Amino acid sequence: MASVNDVIIHIESLGKIYDEGKPNEVKALDDVCLDIFRGEIFGIIGLSGAGKSTLVRCINLLEKPTSGKVVVDGRELTELDPPGLMKARRKIGMIFQDFNLLEQSTALENVCFPLRLAGSGRKEAEKRAVELLARVGLEDRTGSYPSQLSGGQKQRVAIARALACEPDVLLCDEAVSALDPTTTNQILELLQEINRDLGVTIVMITHEMKVIEKICSRVAILADNHIVESGNVSDVFRNPRTEAARKLILPSGGVEPFDGSGRLLRLVFDGTTTDKPIVANMVLSCGEPVSIVAADTKQIDGKTFGQLIIQLPSGAGSAERMMAYLDSENISYTEETDV
Amino acid sequence: MFDSKFLGLVITGFFETIYMTLAASLVSYIIGLPLGVFLSVSRPEGISPKPVLNRAFGSVVNLLRSVPFVIMLVAAIPLTRLIMGTSVGSSATIVPLVIASFPIVARSAEASASSVRHGVIEAAQSMGASDMQIITRVILPEAVPSLITGAASSLITVLGFSAMAGVCGGGGLGSIVINYGYYRGETGIMYVLIVILVLMVQIIQEAGARLSVKSDKNSRNSN
Repeated sequence: MASVNDVIIHIESLGKIYDEGKPNEVKALDDVCLDIFRGEIFGIIGLSGAGKSTLVRCINLLEKPTSGKVVVDGRELTELDPPGLMKARRKIGMIFQDFNLLEQSTALENVCFPLRLAGSGRKEAEKRAVELLARVGLEDRTGSYPSQLSGGQKQRVAIARALACEPDVLLCDEAVSALDPTTTNQILELLQEINRDLGVTIVMITHEMKVIEKICSRVAILADNHIVESGNVSDVFRNPRTEAARKLILPSGGVEPFDGSGRLLRLVFDGTTTDKPIVANMVLSCGEPVSIVAADTKQIDGKTFGQLIIQLPSGAGSAERMMAYLDSENISYTEETDV
Repeated sequence: MFDSKFLGLVITGFFETIYMTLAASLVSYIIGLPLGVFLSVSRPEGISPKPVLNRAFGSVVNLLRSVPFVIMLVAAIPLTRLIMGTSVGSSATIVPLVIASFPIVARSAEASASSVRHGVIEAAQSMGASDMQIITRVILPEAVPSLITGAASSLITVLGFSAMAGVCGGGGLGSIVINYGYYRGETGIMYVLIVILVLMVQIIQEAGARLSVKSDKNSRNSN
């Protein structure tokens, strides 16, 4: 889909150790390699403590990597001097979980802020800020202070502010984690729109799979300070290869057999298989019932996916017969253990 | 005892006190505010950590703060003479007042500057702000309500010090209390002056609190 020339963020053997050399040193990132393509929405997901926030802060060097390279739009940030880095950062917008707006400034002043930093005149900055606030749907709140805005509105101001200097990349650090589900969807749709209309590459850091499913095309899973799995979101969902990926994909809270015994299978259906009564046919053909432990459907990259977790009967040979049936029908499944 | 001569004395003392308090506070802020901001940003977790300088300045501030003001008043006499030519009168008193007050102002400004949320500073850094831009456009504007509260309490401290300076011929209401209330035992006069000082403190406190709330855009609706 994209050639090597289209890589906008290239991360190579990135490592970050806090308090290096001291007895309390903490390894936050270890040998992270990542290529993010121009114009895509790339998700980085992981549980708390996996190193997500550190990783995204290494992309604009808010955190100095201990080792490795970060190249954004052809510039190796890790080699820039402070003025060069400040200039490069203007082309990398960032939004945060806590919005981080200037609390003593109005929405308009907040959006003017990066423009004024970059040397724009007041008039010019205000004109552009008004346009940007209209772009995020806040044309009537320009004079409001952050404390007078809702969480969703604050994040819209933050998005307008991050877009002010026409960045090539927008980094989102848990940008919707402090918002309710409805507001989360609205903000995600806005980000999708911005990606589509302005061609801004978006990097989404999150701990929620539903954020990745909704807007990301590709995803990297971060666990224990390195990337354990990455690829198209639909591929990772269909066929998670690692424990960390399975944990994130399975319904929250994990699943376990009803009576503590019996094997669990996870079946994934996409648009081409959902119209066949797979489970019913399997039960009829094997002559034994199964229990449904969990089931849900998801929209990934515009396609509907369903996942079903079933508990197989514990009788001798019956599980094997059912798996053989699924194989013959070309249904992909994974066996779930220890979840 | 409350004749017109005394009234004139009180009015002069009142204005001398205001003069000493404001002048000493102004100079203390000129020194203390930049010093306080420096102490905040040069902390290990600040935007520009400078452990050695931070510790050096911090130690000077702590040292000056631990000298009781009455002792500072006496100890500073040679320096006061050198700068002002005399050690008597309200103008001369400004020297020890500043020496005693700027460390207090610095610590208060440091606390205000450090109360600005790290995330807001991080956001400015992500937009390519320099350290100086972060200080002038993020830390100071965001700390305004807290700085105002701190200024009110610093003014009250300086006012208290200025009254104490009466012991060493410092002028102002403090001198009148010492001379009339202490040396002559005219307790009536002393109580009148105490009331005036208490009122002044109340006015500064109330004005500071109101100004701080009024300037704080973060507490209008929510919070």
